[in-house]
Amino acid sequence: MALLALMFTAGAAFLAVSLHRVQVERFSVLSHDQLRQSVRRVQVPGPRGLIFDRNGELLAGNRASYCIAYYVEELRKRGRWQNTIDAVDADIDRLAKELGIPRVISKKAVADHVMQSLPMPLLAWRDVEQETLARWAEAVEPFPGVDIYVQPERSYPNNTLAAHVLGYVGRDRPQPLPGHKVHFYLPEMIGKGGIEGRYNKVLTGMSGGQLIRVDARGYKHAVWEGEAAVPGKDIHLTLDIKVQAALEKVLSGWRGAGVVIDPRNGEVLALASSPVYDPNDFVPVMPSGVWKRLNEDEAVPLINRAIQGWYAPGSTFKPVTAMAAFLSGKFDPAEEYVCDGAFVLGTMRLRCWNTYGHGSISLRKAIEQSCNSYFCHIAHSIGYDSIYEVARMLGLGQPSGIDLPAESGGLLPTAKWKQDRMRDLWRPGDTCQIGIGQGLLITTPLQMAVVTSVFANRGSLYRPHLARQAIAPLEREMGWPAQAVAAVREGMRDVAEVGTGRRVQVRGLSVAAKTGTAEVDTAGVRRKNTWVTAFAPFDSPTAAVAIMVENGESGGLTVAPMVREVLVSIFGEEPAAEGEGIPGARDFTADMEVRGD
Amino acid sequence: MTEKLTRYFGFLRRMNPVLMTCMAGLAVIGVAFVYSSCSVREDPAIRMLYMRHAESGIAGFILALVLAGLNYRIMMRWSWLFYLACLIALALVPFVGETKMGARRWLFGMQPSEPAKLAVIMLLAWLYGSRGALRGARAFFLTMAAAGVPVALILIQPDLGTAMVMVPTVLAMMFAANVAPRLMWTLVTAGVVAAGLMLGVIYAAEKADMPQERREALIAATRLRPHQVKRLQVFLFPDKDLHGSGYNRRQSEIAVGSGGVWGKGYLKGEQYMLGYLPPSVSSNDFIFAVLAEEAGFVGSVTVLLLFTGILWAGLWVAFRCREDMGRLFCVGVMTLTFSHMFINIAMTIGLMPITGLPLPFISYGRTFMLTMMVALGLVQSVSIHGRELETRF
Repeated sequence: MALLALMFTAGAAFLAVSLHRVQVERFSVLSHDQLRQSVRRVQVPGPRGLIFDRNGELLAGNRASYCIAYYVEELRKRGRWQNTIDAVDADIDRLAKELGIPRVISKKAVADHVMQSLPMPLLAWRDVEQETLARWAEAVEPFPGVDIYVQPERSYPNNTLAAHVLGYVGRDRPQPLPGHKVHFYLPEMIGKGGIEGRYNKVLTGMSGGQLIRVDARGYKHAVWEGEAAVPGKDIHLTLDIKVQAALEKVLSGWRGAGVVIDPRNGEVLALASSPVYDPNDFVPVMPSGVWKRLNEDEAVPLINRAIQGWYAPGSTFKPVTAMAAFLSGKFDPAEEYVCDGAFVLGTMRLRCWNTYGHGSISLRKAIEQSCNSYFCHIAHSIGYDSIYEVARMLGLGQPSGIDLPAESGGLLPTAKWKQDRMRDLWRPGDTCQIGIGQGLLITTPLQMAVVTSVFANRGSLYRPHLARQAIAPLEREMGWPAQAVAAVREGMRDVAEVGTGRRVQVRGLSVAAKTGTAEVDTAGVRRKNTWVTAFAPFDSPTAAVAIMVENGESGGLTVAPMVREVLVSIFGEEPAAEGEGIPGARDFTADMEVRGD
Repeated sequence: MTEKLTRYFGFLRRMNPVLMTCMAGLAVIGVAFVYSSCSVREDPAIRMLYMRHAESGIAGFILALVLAGLNYRIMMRWSWLFYLACLIALALVPFVGETKMGARRWLFGMQPSEPAKLAVIMLLAWLYGSRGALRGARAFFLTMAAAGVPVALILIQPDLGTAMVMVPTVLAMMFAANVAPRLMWTLVTAGVVAAGLMLGVIYAAEKADMPQERREALIAATRLRPHQVKRLQVFLFPDKDLHGSGYNRRQSEIAVGSGGVWGKGYLKGEQYMLGYLPPSVSSNDFIFAVLAEEAGFVGSVTVLLLFTGILWAGLWVAFRCREDMGRLFCVGVMTLTFSHMFINIAMTIGLMPITGLPLPFISYGRTFMLTMMVALGLVQSVSIHGRELETRF
């Protein structure tokens, strides 16, 4: 009896000790195991930041998009998973009939959802119309396990305006949260292209997390706790919606691009490419028809010509050649050159556009008249290296560094480049061609706008930018002699007042400009890319413009009136006094002094 | 009036109060946790299981009180009738019984294997306890036959667990009655060696480097059924197959362990609520996991203490009884209770291979509840009437 009592007591004590080991000593391990098997983390993206223009006009916002969502746990069926999949699938058909809308998700998608993201809502219809919502609300028969799911969706209130600058958004898996294993996620808006792409990180913010409890089969049991998402930051652009609209208006119907820069600080007031597309079409998912149309369009609307187009600058490059001549020391501005309608170099004969010749001509006059012979002559006499040096300093042949993705750097060739790529020597003809902005030289409209802004502000290169910054990003000072800059600027004023660019004139505003017409030979078809670069007001410029139009008549005829419209949008039809610029434009001189530049 | 009461119910004063209190306490705890473990089920009939449990508990309690008042020796004398009835019922099960979850155990809503355990204990107590009872080898073989037939019938249901608890129960009674001690020791040694060999073979088959056919041949040589082999493997290698055969063991361990010291609170257990502890076992064989998760270490030790209270009180009754039959009966019932408790709790925390064995008074099971109540009622009868002899002599 005593032996039995002892054995029973020992048995009970053994169990007590074992229970102590499991429940007290291994408590943390086992409760962690329990959490691991029953808690799932869902990543919930925060609201995306908004994009505004310089005056606070909304360019990209968020709107509520109404989706019809299935909560599968409420439609669960016993037995095999297929039973649940069939039940949901049949219910979608029933609902489609009730609402009179076509079904959009396949049975395969339903099955994938059940197998892979069971605790998440299954979005059967995204972004449904108000009418459908009303019919849903009035549906006689109740649909258990189905509810309206509101999800923020990107919207661009001005439709096509500044489309190439803004880019667009798609939906994808969000960036994983650091330090957490995420089991499920709600797809997040991911910026593609433009400001949306470039500043995606800023606009996105930090995803929040939601911990949900799942049962042994994986159905959502309850939401356990959540961490709020951190909303993305808003972005204020330097763009002026008014100028942008004017620029896009003049470009519409053409293939071309234009850029307006504030020469005082590199702020981009407008940047447009034509033809345009509507970024709203990409939301929530671009219909395949639209995608096909955009991709197969011969005019390639998805390309941002302002930063990605490859164009010879034509005569708008001539101020650069002129500047190179001043700096080379091999050029006497007082000397006049006689243009007889062509420049002969050995066996080569480069025609001036004025086949009768300009006669005896000075630098200022040569700019005004855009005399090819003159610039061939000086290019030849100063040599390519001098031109290359100045063009390089002005940022040609390299991306300007604007805060947009996929910017092209154009092409500023060297002898070595020509040897490597074309297996040919550098010839004097190449130097002449580049001297008048043709030949191997390739620029983007943005680069030419930057070049124009440097002439406008008498020698400071600011990196063009779209997001407003506290300090003007001064890239470099050219260190140009004042009278050399003055001479080129005078020549450009003459272009606008009496020369090839007279159509840019705005009453009461002194404008400087340069026209250009570059002949291109694509697959045997001769086409003309027509340019105008301009800045105003002459004495203290607040706007530098470059517009390029494919297949124009000539810079002076086709583009100059466009530039005028843009200038009017900035300064008004009859500006009261010089110096009145963009409202809100800031002078950063003080900042620069602090930086010691 | 008081005199009358004393005359009719005075015997109740000689009942063992500790035994009664602990039994009632465990039954109440049982009802509470059957309610808890079934509260998340959809089927309203299953949600009401705790009421069935309570009903059988109350019925059993009243039955126990009635039996406590009767003289156990009369009942022991007629125990062979009870034994025969159980044998017939067990024999009928394979033909007309109902099958639930792969085992044919039920006959008209009752499990005959539960009263059969009590019948064997009663029969053995009567056999060894009556005057001039047999001893020695003949008694040993008679015992083997008396216990062996129902155990064999239970084994074919199959119900390994119930058959298994009979081994220590019968052994303890034989030891206490001093039936053929040398044979007994031989038997125990042989049993231990056989169990050790089986585990050893399964361990070797898993660990040793050998071709698959030989491994299978080796396991087949143990003559265990595949599901039994699997359970032993799970016991030996708990991390081998957490999603298959080791799943229940793992989930009940998590449930017990995540309870911690104070538990998660009543009706707040997560393992059964989320279905990780399968609903088919959470109200019966694994109810201790539900209890340990919700009531924590404190709760599980309380249950252990209540069981210890029953065991000590039962042995105290046996100790006070001056007569073999009553004493042997108490030993049998207490060993049965202990074996059930030990195997069930040890299995819940992974210390023993999983065998479907209920926890007395707490696990849902009406037949078992009634049987245990009746058994303890009879122990009370020993407590009341076993001492009469003492006073008489």
